[in-house]
Amino acid sequence: MSSRIEILNAGGYRSDGRRQYELRTISIDLSPRGSGADGSATLSHGLTQVSVCVFGPREAKMRSQTFHDRANINVEIGIAAFSSSERRKRGRGDKRVLELSHTLKATFEPVIQTSLYPRSQIDIYIQVLQQDGGLLQACVNATTLALINAGIPLYDFVCAVTGGVHSTSPLLDLTLLEENDLPNVTVAVMPRTGKVALVTMETRLHVDRFEEIFRLAGEAGKVIHGEMKRAVKERTQDLVNAMQSVGKAAGTEVVDEY
Amino acid sequence: MRPPSPSIPEKEFLFTALKQSLRLDGRQPLEQRQVELNFGPELGWVECAQGKTRVLAHVDAKMVKPPPERPFEGIISIHSEISPMASSEYESGRPSEEEVTITRMLDKVIRRSDTVDKESLCILAGQRVWHLRLTIHCLADSGNMLDCACLAGLVALKHFRRPEVEVIGEEVTVHLPTSRAPLPLSLHHTPYCFTFAFFPDTSIPPVLDPNLLEQRLSGGLISIALNAQRELCVVQKSGGVPLVPDDVLKIVDVAVNRAKELDALVESRLKEDWAGRKIEVI
Amino acid sequence: MIEFTSFRQHPDNFSVKHPEDVDMDMDMDEDEDEDFLQAGSSKITYPGEYLTSSQAFMRGHGTYVDNEDVIASVSGTVERVNKLVTVRAVRTRYNPEVGDLVVGRITEVQPRRWKVEANSRQDAVLMLSSVNLPGGVQRRKLESDELQMRTFFEEGDLLVAEVQAFFSDGTMSLHTRSLSYGKLRNGQLVAVPPILVRRLKSHFISLPCGVDLILGLNGYIWVSKHVKESDREGEEGFDAEAVYSNRNDDIDDSTRMAISRVTNLILVLASHSVPLTDAVLLDAYEWSIEQDAHIKDLLQDEIGEALVTSIISRG
Repeated sequence: MSSRIEILNAGGYRSDGRRQYELRTISIDLSPRGSGADGSATLSHGLTQVSVCVFGPREAKMRSQTFHDRANINVEIGIAAFSSSERRKRGRGDKRVLELSHTLKATFEPVIQTSLYPRSQIDIYIQVLQQDGGLLQACVNATTLALINAGIPLYDFVCAVTGGVHSTSPLLDLTLLEENDLPNVTVAVMPRTGKVALVTMETRLHVDRFEEIFRLAGEAGKVIHGEMKRAVKERTQDLVNAMQSVGKAAGTEVVDEY
Repeated sequence: MRPPSPSIPEKEFLFTALKQSLRLDGRQPLEQRQVELNFGPELGWVECAQGKTRVLAHVDAKMVKPPPERPFEGIISIHSEISPMASSEYESGRPSEEEVTITRMLDKVIRRSDTVDKESLCILAGQRVWHLRLTIHCLADSGNMLDCACLAGLVALKHFRRPEVEVIGEEVTVHLPTSRAPLPLSLHHTPYCFTFAFFPDTSIPPVLDPNLLEQRLSGGLISIALNAQRELCVVQKSGGVPLVPDDVLKIVDVAVNRAKELDALVESRLKEDWAGRKIEVI
Repeated sequence: MIEFTSFRQHPDNFSVKHPEDVDMDMDMDEDEDEDFLQAGSSKITYPGEYLTSSQAFMRGHGTYVDNEDVIASVSGTVERVNKLVTVRAVRTRYNPEVGDLVVGRITEVQPRRWKVEANSRQDAVLMLSSVNLPGGVQRRKLESDELQMRTFFEEGDLLVAEVQAFFSDGTMSLHTRSLSYGKLRNGQLVAVPPILVRRLKSHFISLPCGVDLILGLNGYIWVSKHVKESDREGEEGFDAEAVYSNRNDDIDDSTRMAISRVTNLILVLASHSVPLTDAVLLDAYEWSIEQDAHIKDLLQDEIGEALVTSIISRG
């Protein structure tokens, strides 16, 4: 099915007025959610918005699921029925949702230093609030931020971006409209080493085109990393400042062995 | 039940061997196990084996009324089941993570990549279309069931022939296979799936078509589905140990060559089988 | 299909080496890599940030080594003791140390032990042999004690205890073998981020308004009616009835108000990330009385901000 809206017009603009390589606005909120979560993050890429809460590392609910040498990671995703233009309830048993949570679990398992927390469990709960393309990308980025916010040690950030190809021109950070029409790739990179943690592609694309968009998405991941890094630093700095403003002056009795 | 994890010496043994590009079953790192295709008496019945991994695929077709939103397209549904018979790891009932992966990958490789020309399955717009049911049964798992299942499913679709139908006005006549030769499905392309395992120790090269032990000790898998025309259909590296981007592209290159070889094999086996079948047309 | 073997590159993940072991590195160039920690300023890190070379420095908590680089794994502040580099996460679960005072809640009664939830990475263990038994402090535990464990602590009970030791898997073991430890009554629990509770000379604080505070290092704070020192310890050493009692004492209205006020103050201070010490709490309490602020109004944003500003200026 092809839509009547031009994906990329003659002037080089996309349907929402962006250029080919332009990313959508990212907004990041790292303030606590009030649910007693150890870390949380709400992130939006344009109109796609997800909220993630991380609990743990904590005592595992089911002892059979624990590992003697590392923490178990549990990912659960809820997709709000109102998140897409077509109201649709997806249950927990939905294969697509299961696959998504499995993908996230597998992505973060080697990134989190799980061996520090034997027999514990880290729960990651994701709520998808709005969908406008790039769902996996938003979930990966928001989960990274929530994990950092919870103080869980990670080897690196994981930054994901979608990319697509319109005839021969590559586009980045696709909206739902573009995602439905174009072959698209989601790539998650670890910016420090440039290694790729996740690649998915579901539509037909020539090998040579794939290489182009794959490399491009890897680069774009580093741009996203910059934004995520800034948000994390800002939040950390705020907390540190708040603690130091009083701690130093009133801390005459503090027995600080650090 | 979680399978007992391999012991440390087993693991060490495998990893040291792999570092020297040796695999425990004597293959090269990028060598597939021998693919065997056996066709059943019926059209669209294929048993595919890679080593000890065996998968059975079966296609049947029936006529149904199409859903109102897609009146010109036929329907394809894929049913896959991993029974405890394949391996003691699987339980009946709740689908395991692996089962979800296989089901979703089959869906992506066969259905979402537009393998079958759905419009050619239309008999009478809005009234009658063909509904193809692809059933996949995993008989034995000794690693890399996904590739085997995809291959079996695809070959089954290629092998299958549907009865010819004739439409005169609103009247639909189905010709028995004995009266008119049944027709093959029209396929846009044939994607083949290749799974590579990579390991936590980055000095170990990735291996194609991992066996059970390699799969269990791997740091993750990357599955690539593509056709002989160098078109990628699915690339799936869902997590696992991070890879250098160039390695991913190298793996894709390997898959391109393997797809051509596999395509030639499948075509020749299908031709052989077809030659052996006597279709009587009266 | 995918079975993971987690990263094993750093088998020494948790071993924080003593600064003395580092002497051999001391002759390394002192000036190189010094920029990451200037005196007075605290550098903020994020996971994956390069800190220094592992040739010259030892890595501590919150860091890992990759290719001779020391890299941060959490976001927080860099700290250095001689050649040991650590990153202290700005928010994290409680990391227990032996001797810490914690407030916890019983989650499970198991044979000869209780499981205690204490905001750590795993539930803590309280052994039957680590509690004071009725009828004298120095008594052998009997089979009858095992059978009536629920009369001491049952699921849901709150208690204050000390971290005694660690099991091999890192689970902490608690003890309540002191007259100041044991079951908690006459008040309410507040949970704050553990980093806001610093190690103090005493974690039992009595405010002049008739409120006692127990600042658990795990971020759980017990706010209760003041109990006289002599009453708490009992005249004849140990009174099992009182220690394991589930009944609250009579609490008059003004004390109840004071408890609520202190609780709300703690919540406000915690939401502004102000470390909690007795001095800060006392200041905050005085301020709220001076301002004549109603208890529930304390939780409003403007009043909370005014409170924190005043605390900072006083400090």
